[in-house]
Formats: sequence, structure tokens, C-alpha cells
Amino acid sequence: MQASLEQKYNFDIVRWFTIMAVVYLVLGAAFGVYIASELAWPFLNFDSPYLSFGRLRPLHTNTVIFAFGGCTLMATAFYSVQRTCGVRLWSDTLARFTFWGWNAVIVLAVLTLPLGLTQSKEYAELEWPIDILIAVVWLAFTFNFIMTIAKRKSSHIYVSNWFFLGMMIMIVYLHVVNSLAIPVGLFKSYSIFSGVQDAMIQWWWGHNAVGFYLTAGFLGIMYYFVPKQAGRPIYSYRLSVIHFWALMFGYVWLGAHHLQYTALPDWTGSLGAAISLAMIIPSWGGAVNGMMTLSGAWDRLRTDYVLRFLIMALAFYAMSTFEGPVMALKSVNALSHYTDWTIGHVHSGALGWVAGISIGAIYHLMIRLYHTEMYSERLINLHFWTATIGTVIYIVAMWVSGIMQGLMWRAYDEYGTLAYTFVESVDAMHPYYAMRAIGGMIFLFGAAVMLFNVLMTVRKSVVEGRLQQARALPAMA
Amino acid sequence: MNSLIDYFATDWGAMTVNDWIGTILTVVIFLLMILAYFQVFRPKNREQLESRKHIPFEEDDAPFGDDDGRP
Repeated sequence: MQASLEQKYNFDIVRWFTIMAVVYLVLGAAFGVYIASELAWPFLNFDSPYLSFGRLRPLHTNTVIFAFGGCTLMATAFYSVQRTCGVRLWSDTLARFTFWGWNAVIVLAVLTLPLGLTQSKEYAELEWPIDILIAVVWLAFTFNFIMTIAKRKSSHIYVSNWFFLGMMIMIVYLHVVNSLAIPVGLFKSYSIFSGVQDAMIQWWWGHNAVGFYLTAGFLGIMYYFVPKQAGRPIYSYRLSVIHFWALMFGYVWLGAHHLQYTALPDWTGSLGAAISLAMIIPSWGGAVNGMMTLSGAWDRLRTDYVLRFLIMALAFYAMSTFEGPVMALKSVNALSHYTDWTIGHVHSGALGWVAGISIGAIYHLMIRLYHTEMYSERLINLHFWTATIGTVIYIVAMWVSGIMQGLMWRAYDEYGTLAYTFVESVDAMHPYYAMRAIGGMIFLFGAAVMLFNVLMTVRKSVVEGRLQQARALPAMA
Repeated sequence: MNSLIDYFATDWGAMTVNDWIGTILTVVIFLLMILAYFQVFRPKNREQLESRKHIPFEEDDAPFGDDDGRP
């Protein structure tokens, strides 16, 4: 018999990241609901620059992507790499540095973004000193992960670790290149790129943040947590290998599809669209691989609420990885670009896929990290339905709104003049903006229920003495 | 553009070093992808590759709870 899992592995760091991920999910969703409400009911600006949509929107995106998403990735990567390699993290100190450093980045984002301190680069708004801190902390995370793999006991590196590692290496490269800037003060810098090159670099980063951070990293979660929760190995390991290499080689080409009909050379947009279409194959291969893991055990979905989150997330992954390539096509992009359709697409990926797979993984982790059952299974079920219904209301509102917007903007009358003014299109959006805010509120309610359930589970574990018991078990290696 | 030949016409003389590096890398990656597909779907490799899907279930025996750390 081996030593207790608590003594063998570093689960403390996983617990810290897990709890913070849930806290940031609630905060990020709350910021999102507030700015969505501002668009529907503009008086919520209260004429304060600190509460304006332009300043709070990057706060929302940074909180959900980097705070919630980052903490989830770090919790799951640190947990699964230890379990699949059969060894403790290479350095507990570096892991603690990663936790405090990453949270320092988040605090700095919360302080600087409402003050209007920004590089104005989407998903890379933070000013240069914070960018340097991000790079250092991310490298610490990456180095610790690689060194843990290097001292593994297993002969093979399990595929979830490939996805995590691919994400880590690519994000270093993408973040450093996109953030290259000349500082002119402590809180002001200018990108070293300009004009269309700046736009291309920005969207090379922007889409790869989606491809490597929000897709590859969360696929790492999928390849470990779906089999573990289902109690069955992944449907096809061979398909997972192809999924990995096709994703790594293919994704880097896609960024130009964000810049159709701009000053960028036409062929780059065509290339971006063509490779986007080609990416449907590995993406759907991966989604099918995850779902087919349940082959022969679909009845589990009736009773296992955590598994429902994981499988629903895969359905959203399949849907948004089909929708994205369609939107990349020039003829579709002519209608969809700059409209709310893009926002709907992003949120079907963000709420449906990223949040869904994260929430499923976090519930899976909670039981194992605190050595007790969840405080309430019914609350997990309630969370599942609020998350799903909220997401569907949100994306349907944005689809309708976006397509209507696109059609109104390009409608001409018989004299060749625009049929609608811009203000008329804004007015037509109002019911859908209200509907989107309501969808967001329902999702936020579910996230708050999750936070309550998670905190009560921690309390339950403390009261029952489960964690202390697990820690106190003698090492019997 | 009148034909596919026009569409794919390239002024090779105008290719810069960057263009050549990009072109060569693209072709090499394309060939590597074909190799990956060949290796992964080769019947001979099936058993070895598929055996690795059990790694998450080959975790430790734990004296507390089940082998997955559950209560």
C-alpha cells in the first residue's frame, strides 16, 4: 500500500485554485450581467466613467477568461498531471508562486481596467508591467508542469498532458509576441506593430487565445475528467492523438478570418476561412470521442449530474466549432461581422463549452479534494438546468439580434440609399439585449448556487473532519 | 480571375526569405500530418496506442476512500 494521496500529492494548491475559480466564475458572470444590462438600460452607467461599458467589458472578459478560466486550468492541470504521472508536483514553492502571482495579476486587472489603463488590444488589455508579470507566472506554471512530467513514473505521457502542454507553450509564444510594446510611462505603452500588421498580430493572438487557451487547455480537462467521471476509458486513444496534432498544426492559421474585408491581403482571409473549415474535422473528432466514451452507459446521464455538465459541454463544443468556421466564410462574414451574432457565437463556446467542462471538472474535484460528498446533489442539478437554460436564452437572443442587425445595416431602398439609420438598428436590438441580460442573470444565479454548494461542502468536510483525517493518515509507502 | 491557373499563379521571383520559410514549413507540416495519420491508423499500432487510454485508471491504491480519493 502506498502513502495517503494527501501526503503523496500536493492537493493544497489544487484546492486553492479550485475555490478561487468558483469565486471568479461568480464575479465574472456578475460583471457580464451588469454590462449586458447597461446595453439594455443605459441609465446603469450612472454617468460614471468607471462604470462605463468600455471599461467594464474588458474587466468582464479578463475575469472570466484569465481569472476563472486560468484558475480552472491551473487546478485541473496540477491535479491531473500528478495523478497520471504518479508523482508529486516538481516544486511546491513554484506552485505557490503560480497561485499568488496569478491572483496578483487578477487584482491588478481589477484595479487598472476600470481606471481606463489599457493597451486597447482585445483580450490583451493589461499594461506592460502586468504583461511581464503574466509571462513570469505562466513560465513558472509551465516549467513546474514540464518538470513534473519529466520525473513521472508512467512510461507514456497521457494525452490530457499533451493538450495542457501544447497550451502552455503556445501561450508563452503568443502572449510575448502580441505584448511587445514600447513603454512611455509606468501605465502607458505603444505596440511595436502598427497598422494592418498590428491588426494581424492582434488577431493571431486573439484567435489563438481561443484555440490554445480556451480550447486546447479545456480539451486537456475533457480527456482526463470525462473518462474519470464516466468510469470508462476514452473511446479512442488514436482519435485523441490525431485530434491533438491536427489542432496544434491547424489552429495557428485561423486568426485572419477575424479581418475579412479589411486592409489585410485578401488571400490571408481566404486561407483563414479554408483552414477554419478544415478544423471542423479534428474538433468534431474530439467531441465525438468524448461523447462516445459514454457508449453503452448513456443511462448514467439520468443520475450523474456532474457527467451531464461534461457531456453538455461537449455538445456546445461541437456546435460552436461548426458555427465558427461557417462564420469565417466570406459570404457569411459579410453579414455576421461586427454584429451580435459574434457575441452569441463566443458565448456558446464560453458558457456552453468552457464553463460547462470547467464546472463539471470542479464538481468532480471537490468530492476528491475534500473527501466527502457534495453538500447537495439537488443544487448541482439546479445549477445544471440554470446554466443550460441561461446559456440557450443568451445565445438565441444574440443570434436573432445579430442576424437582424446585419440585415438592417445592409438593406438598401430602390434609390440605393440605406433603408435604416444606425439608431433604428440599435432600437430594434433592445428586446434582445434585455433577453440576453435575463439569460445572463439565470446563468449567474446558477453560478451563485454553485459557490454556495462548494463552500458548504468545504464546511461539511471540516465539520466531519474528513480532510484532517486524510492528512493525518500515516505514510505507508 | 479567369481560371484556377490565374488564381494559383505565383511570382516566384518576388518571394522573400520569409515567404520561403513559411512555404517550406507549411509543406513540411503537411507531410508530418500525413505521417501522423498513417502511424495512428496503421493496424499494427492499434493495440499499443489504445492500451494507453487506461492510464487514468492505473492510479494508486489509497488507504483513504477508494483508489480515486473519494469518500
